Amino acid sequence: MTQNATAADTAPAPEVEAENIKKTPDDWEARILAFACHYCAFAAADLAGVMRLSYSPNVKIIRLSCTGKLDHSYVLRAFERGIDGVFVAG
Amino acid sequence: MEAETKLIGSVVIVGAGIGGMQAALDLADSGFMVHMVSRDSAVGGTMAMLDKTFPTGDCAMCMISPRMVEASRHPNIKIHTMAQVTGVSGVAGNFTLMISQKARYVDPIKCTGCGICEKKCPKKVPGEFDQGLSKRKAIFSLFPQAVPNTRVIDPDHCLYLTKGRCRACEKFCPSDAINFEDTPSEFELKAGAVILCPGLDTYDPTIQQELGYNRWPNVVTSLQFERILSASGPFRGEIKRPSDSKHPKKIAWIQCVGSRDPHNVNPWCSSVCCMYATKQAVIAREHDTEVVPTIFYNEKRTFGKDFDKYADRARDEYNVRYERAMISAVNEEAGSGDLFIKYVDGQGRMTNETFDLIVLSVGLQPRKDALEFAGIFDIDIDQFGFPITSRLSPIETTRPGIFVAGTYQGPKDIPETVVQGSAAAASAMAILDKRRGCEIEDVALPPEKETGNEKPRVGVVVCHCGINISQTVDVEKVAENAAKQPDVAHAETVMYACAPDGQNRIKELIREKGLNRVIVASCTPRTHEPLFQETIREAGLNKYLFDLADIREQCSWCHMGQNELATEKAIDIVNMSIAKTRLLQEVKSESVPVTPVAMVIGGGIAGMTAALSLAEQDFAVHLVEKEKRLGGLAAGIFHTLEGDSVRELIRRKNLQIDDHPAITVHVGVEVSKTEGYVGNFKSTLSDNTAIDHGVIVIASGGSEYTPDEYDYGKSEKILTQRQLERLLAANSLQADAIYAMIQCVGSREKPFNYCSRICCQDAIKNAIAIKNKTPEAQVTIFYRDLRTYGLREKYYTKARDLGVRFVRYEADSKPEVTHDGPNFSIKAYDPILENEIVLSTDYLILSTGLRPNAVNDKLGEMYKLTRNEDGYFLEAHVKLRPVDFPSEGIFLAGLAHGPKNLDETISQALAAAGRAGTVLSQSQLAVSGIIAKHDRDKCMSCLACFRACPFNSPYIDEDGRVSHNEIKCTGCGICAGICPAKAFQVNSFSDDQITAMIDSVTENCLPHSAEHRSTEKSDDTKCNCC
Repeated sequence: MTQNATAADTAPAPEVEAENIKKTPDDWEARILAFACHYCAFAAADLAGVMRLSYSPNVKIIRLSCTGKLDHSYVLRAFERGIDGVFVAG
Repeated sequence: MEAETKLIGSVVIVGAGIGGMQAALDLADSGFMVHMVSRDSAVGGTMAMLDKTFPTGDCAMCMISPRMVEASRHPNIKIHTMAQVTGVSGVAGNFTLMISQKARYVDPIKCTGCGICEKKCPKKVPGEFDQGLSKRKAIFSLFPQAVPNTRVIDPDHCLYLTKGRCRACEKFCPSDAINFEDTPSEFELKAGAVILCPGLDTYDPTIQQELGYNRWPNVVTSLQFERILSASGPFRGEIKRPSDSKHPKKIAWIQCVGSRDPHNVNPWCSSVCCMYATKQAVIAREHDTEVVPTIFYNEKRTFGKDFDKYADRARDEYNVRYERAMISAVNEEAGSGDLFIKYVDGQGRMTNETFDLIVLSVGLQPRKDALEFAGIFDIDIDQFGFPITSRLSPIETTRPGIFVAGTYQGPKDIPETVVQGSAAAASAMAILDKRRGCEIEDVALPPEKETGNEKPRVGVVVCHCGINISQTVDVEKVAENAAKQPDVAHAETVMYACAPDGQNRIKELIREKGLNRVIVASCTPRTHEPLFQETIREAGLNKYLFDLADIREQCSWCHMGQNELATEKAIDIVNMSIAKTRLLQEVKSESVPVTPVAMVIGGGIAGMTAALSLAEQDFAVHLVEKEKRLGGLAAGIFHTLEGDSVRELIRRKNLQIDDHPAITVHVGVEVSKTEGYVGNFKSTLSDNTAIDHGVIVIASGGSEYTPDEYDYGKSEKILTQRQLERLLAANSLQADAIYAMIQCVGSREKPFNYCSRICCQDAIKNAIAIKNKTPEAQVTIFYRDLRTYGLREKYYTKARDLGVRFVRYEADSKPEVTHDGPNFSIKAYDPILENEIVLSTDYLILSTGLRPNAVNDKLGEMYKLTRNEDGYFLEAHVKLRPVDFPSEGIFLAGLAHGPKNLDETISQALAAAGRAGTVLSQSQLAVSGIIAKHDRDKCMSCLACFRACPFNSPYIDEDGRVSHNEIKCTGCGICAGICPAKAFQVNSFSDDQITAMIDSVTENCLPHSAEHRSTEKSDDTKCNCC
């Protein structure tokens, strides 16, 4: 049961006039909110720590009892409040 | 005589390491009184000294600490520290043990473990726990997380006890706990069974002067290096060398020090050194990327589950250099403290190489008092001091009712020790089943406070975890920030939240600050949440008013070196946890009855052993075997390497099973359907038999690999080891023939990159059989690494003495076979002769490995159990829960778990039965509180949940509306996700709680927030990004 919904998956942005597109600063990093299943993806995140695998500190994880628990409202809420990407793993 | 014996429902366990604690917890959980007798001042044994464990790199202290705490606070376990058994009388079922306990000089009831005494004590002595690398005081605790944490006075060094002056500790002790009048005591314990797990000593290499230990300061033992790596060790986890505190770059490990050396030291292989050296090299590199590790080894014995993959990773990703060389001398370079080693390298060149630090991988050996110890218990030991046990009942000593577990029985690593701990517990339960529950006391918990209407008062405890967290995350800053959050009544940091003093501090805070919700910011909730939940319950809070914020696995460990960002992330994680915790609600959990019946899947040795053990523990058992008869793979084996008859074992077990009224055997059938949950499973077999049972033991076995290499199948003179054994038994081979054996056929290379563990033993066993029968016969074994680990090493020596020839080959230059009519010739490159050799042979024997049973996939699907990449079932935890599955009530034994030898399968089967017994012995099981709650008033009975639930918990009730069976519910929350009316909410994962977490973490993402604006570098100060 793996679902992925990141910013990149959303529909292509409507065409914007060139001068209105701001250049992304070089040091910009996406803030990602992950929803992880307690039994697998959350365990995998733990394992990443145990194996000292490094990833961006901009990733924050919310533990769910199962990703089946994910409510569409969670994803919408996160985007609405300005998160750059949502990662659902389970 | 048995009829006269009054059974005692208590067990004495001698030794309080990880094996002893496992046995104690299993027995205590299933209703027996346990006395643990430890000669140290604290429990924990050798594992507590280790930094990390292979192959997962888990922190040893973090794993063992919860166990120590659990054992120390279990109402059915009494720990007697600094005590020894001095005499045993009686028989199985009714023993009387004489115990002699040394004076502690500190009253454990008055002592709070504050440690002021230790600070004030003026006398310093070399510390045993840090292997002499640091000093301890004359009043001390063995290690920072010691359980019990009552300090102890060392009478040999205390100034008052030796010279009659000082008494500083007494003066400064705030609780008047010092008692210089304390005297040794003698007392008696009654027990129905005794379990011996005193562990082993490590070899002291001082005597081998040529290796320079105790002569050159920068030569350390592996146990010393383990302490050097440890965050709570002498150098706080920084890798320094003893002579000048310099950070060593080139570090060498010398293997087999004190092992595999029959002429000078010990003949056996210590089983664990290859892996721990690999682990130490990897961890050293993790601590300091400039470390260049070299391991000088004889044979790479990484034979356990996933060990070869770990060693490959060490070589490929951590640049660990493995050099096959025998080291005869270590010398110090004058002045620098560096050391040089002379050795012959792989190309046969004499090489002189300099290192900054040398680690001697010391082996394990029986303790010096092994003879005396065995005498006290009146058990037989072998010439070296190991207790004599049969390979086919590896935990039974020569005296009935006295069992052994762990390294005392023979060198082994942690999971095998844990397995034997559970196995010994199962065997004790089998003797004492009638006295279950007779000698224990009821647990008295304080009544739960009603906090429903109170305003939330959250307490936040941020853990340093030694330096595991605090070296990356500024924990003080995290606590300071937490204190500012709404509804937080108090926040502070502790060194180890999971240690007894940390837990006591939490309880104290609940009382002092009137907390009604608690957050611990430390490690993962997957391992530590239950412990802390219990802690707050003991302080009168409902255990669901707790949240664990993971700032170690998911923060400090994966953002090493990014201290500022990691601290920010930790603050965010804690804030999210606070947002959730403020909204947490009390949960009342239900309990359900348990059906005291077991179902064992698989009728091989593992299944038969588990079934018999469960039946002896007084539970009914259904043994399900898909073939027409019991016996499994072992039915094709005649003898073990040690000469025990496997046929006889199967015959005996078959008879015992036939005779046992509690066992029902179902052969020729498979399980077609299982539903239910721990304590209450319902299974249907393929012959439509329905079974109600409380636990499942998966012992589905493995299968033999059928090779397609080396022309197998093209000649009747190309055989597998199993076929050879059969022909040897039937005497149908040409007597004085030439035999060539090739090892690792279909093992240790992709796609089957694992060691099958049994093939080296099989080859040696058959080679010895051939040579014993016909000394003129020639046997040559082509091998990669000969893995006769542990006490099996002596058969390798025996084979060599009998004239069996061994030729090593590398994975990239395998032997080539050509055959011309009836004759074979084998061409191989001999790295010692540095030449190609050609051998004409009459028989070619292929040492083929093991594969997982084909049914594993199906069973895995049916019970939702994960398998590793090789197809073997994955246990709940590779070190400490080796026979459990993450799903409650399902246990694992035998080849289904991974390749192993027969004695190991038997231990594991007993262990699975013991663990299953801890469930079946309960009359009621508490159901998890994390379940979905259904609000019938909101529900529109749209049936979305009814269709989506994998466990069929929602049902249509007599009113024709949807209702919810909470017993079946696992709390996955699929119903809650899908329900359009939000009629389902999962306890501790409710929508308002999750939303609060999202709002907390996105606080600074909101457009026009101060932080957001500051990242806008446009000339216009107004942000228009949205």
